[in-house]
Amino acid sequence: MTPFAQVRLLLFRSLREGARNPVLAYALPIIIPFAVLVLVAKTLYRVTDLPGFPTDNYAEWMTPAIIMLTAMTGVGYAATSLVIDIQSGFLDRLRLLDVRPTALLLSRVLFDVVRVLPAGTVLLVLGLALGTNLNAGLLGVVLLYGLLVLWAAAYGGLYFVVALTTRNAQAPLALAPLFLPLQFLSTQFVPKSLLPGWVQAISAWNPFTYMIDAGRAMTTGPLTAAPVLKAVAVALGLLIVTQALSRRAYRRAMGG
Amino acid sequence: MSGPTAMEAQELTREFPGGVRALDGVSFTVEEGEIFGYLGRNGAGKSTTVRILTTLLRPTSGTATVLGHDVRKDPGAVRKVFGCALQEAALDELMTGREHLVMAGRLVGLGKSQAGERAAELLESFGLQAAADRIAAGYSGGMRRRLDVAMAMVRRPQVLFLDEPTTGLDPQGRRAVWDLVRGLRDEGSTVFLTTQYLAEADELSGRVAVVHEGRIAAIGTPQELKDRMGVTTIRVRVAPAEGQAVIDAVRPGAVTAGAGGWLAIDVAGGEAAVPEVVARLVGAGVAVDRLRIEPPSLEDVFVGLTGTEIEASAGGADVGRITAVRRGLGVPTGPGR
Repeated sequence: MTPFAQVRLLLFRSLREGARNPVLAYALPIIIPFAVLVLVAKTLYRVTDLPGFPTDNYAEWMTPAIIMLTAMTGVGYAATSLVIDIQSGFLDRLRLLDVRPTALLLSRVLFDVVRVLPAGTVLLVLGLALGTNLNAGLLGVVLLYGLLVLWAAAYGGLYFVVALTTRNAQAPLALAPLFLPLQFLSTQFVPKSLLPGWVQAISAWNPFTYMIDAGRAMTTGPLTAAPVLKAVAVALGLLIVTQALSRRAYRRAMGG
Repeated sequence: MSGPTAMEAQELTREFPGGVRALDGVSFTVEEGEIFGYLGRNGAGKSTTVRILTTLLRPTSGTATVLGHDVRKDPGAVRKVFGCALQEAALDELMTGREHLVMAGRLVGLGKSQAGERAAELLESFGLQAAADRIAAGYSGGMRRRLDVAMAMVRRPQVLFLDEPTTGLDPQGRRAVWDLVRGLRDEGSTVFLTTQYLAEADELSGRVAVVHEGRIAAIGTPQELKDRMGVTTIRVRVAPAEGQAVIDAVRPGAVTAGAGGWLAIDVAGGEAAVPEVVARLVGAGVAVDRLRIEPPSLEDVFVGLTGTEIEASAGGADVGRITAVRRGLGVPTGPGR
């Protein structure tokens, strides 16, 4: 069986299991972003009164960031499932059936990607209902989904590195709150100009900032090349690094 | 044995981080069509050997081949020729029995409909049709084990590894696995069977390797091992007054007294030496009321090779199991999984 066919078969296995466990697999990634968007839009809307705030609809300001946030609250499930496969011996069973490591890891990463699609869609629809304008048009939305998928794979990679290094199914859970500081150290809540100087400095090193800035360009506009290319480069870089580290951790986990 | 070689291990060692030496220079050859029993306690190195031969684990040193393919140099080729059921029945709790078998079939290269047919065949021959479309989370220990072995058979393997296939099975489940292994033997398959049950090794194996603390303590057919290392016992019942005459007639220290006038005479030199001992008793004029001959058991061999009697060693689940065999209870039922 070709590695590509193996990926397809294993992804199908994950999707089937997701369908048997839909709350955990598909609904959970939606809950936190949904709550954050509704709450901030209904409680902090006067933030837009600050001088220099680029829009008077706070929900519109938040929506692109929250869509990108679904990739950060939605991942981890696949990494945990992988550890469970290692612990149960099922992974050994797959290895005995000559499944390639690349197929094992890639199929799991792709499942994480699939899981953010419903979440991202729900949040996009919610954002529209709260008055977000899609000034960047259909092309922007297509690009938005593309970046969301790439970001989910890249950010999810962190979970695979942690899961395979510790081989502990609980470890990815411990990583979950990482999205909290990343939110505050980014341009999610206010424009960069309104952040304190030291936070501005940190936000430039926060990959999430680039996803948010590109997300805004792809929805509320204006759609320009610079933020999009920067975001793709950052996400791609993170993806490559995390996948290389996962591969190494996987080889070690299998006893070399 | 002189058939073509199915597996060969030469000086296999495996050290785990922290310096634990699970295997310490293991060598053996398995012929094609043979059922090779690999007998040892928990921790003796059985699973480590299986994991190396099936390419899941690299040996620290030494070489091994399966059907001529080197497990280190060409693991991909090795993985295409064997089926393997590992010690823990490894299932995906959220997948049904049928889905397990279909997925395994697809992974070994069967088409969609072929994989479905093969799955149906295996579900039937392993008695899993009724549970075929239920998820594995609800399977009993025996069903899990049967599904696991069925997955190993999907490929119709030339070489089959069964790592403690009956541990944790009820008597029916064990009998089913034994029948399966015998069926494979009749079809000419090569089976590498690890077990901690002496009776199982004795029953099924053409040859047995006794593995102890990462080394092979002895290899041979069960009969060879018994002849070489076992002790034949003659039990005689005589009138109380004749006891001393029996002791005088045979070599010193060979006789132990039992209940009801029974005396046990250990015969060095195996069954072949029995007539001579009996002749000496007759020659000494001992009136033997009753006489029984007990052939050596693999248990004697095992105890002889591994030094300590299992009962005397420190605790652990395997201790009770092997002890029970010794007490003549047959293979006991292990804890359910």
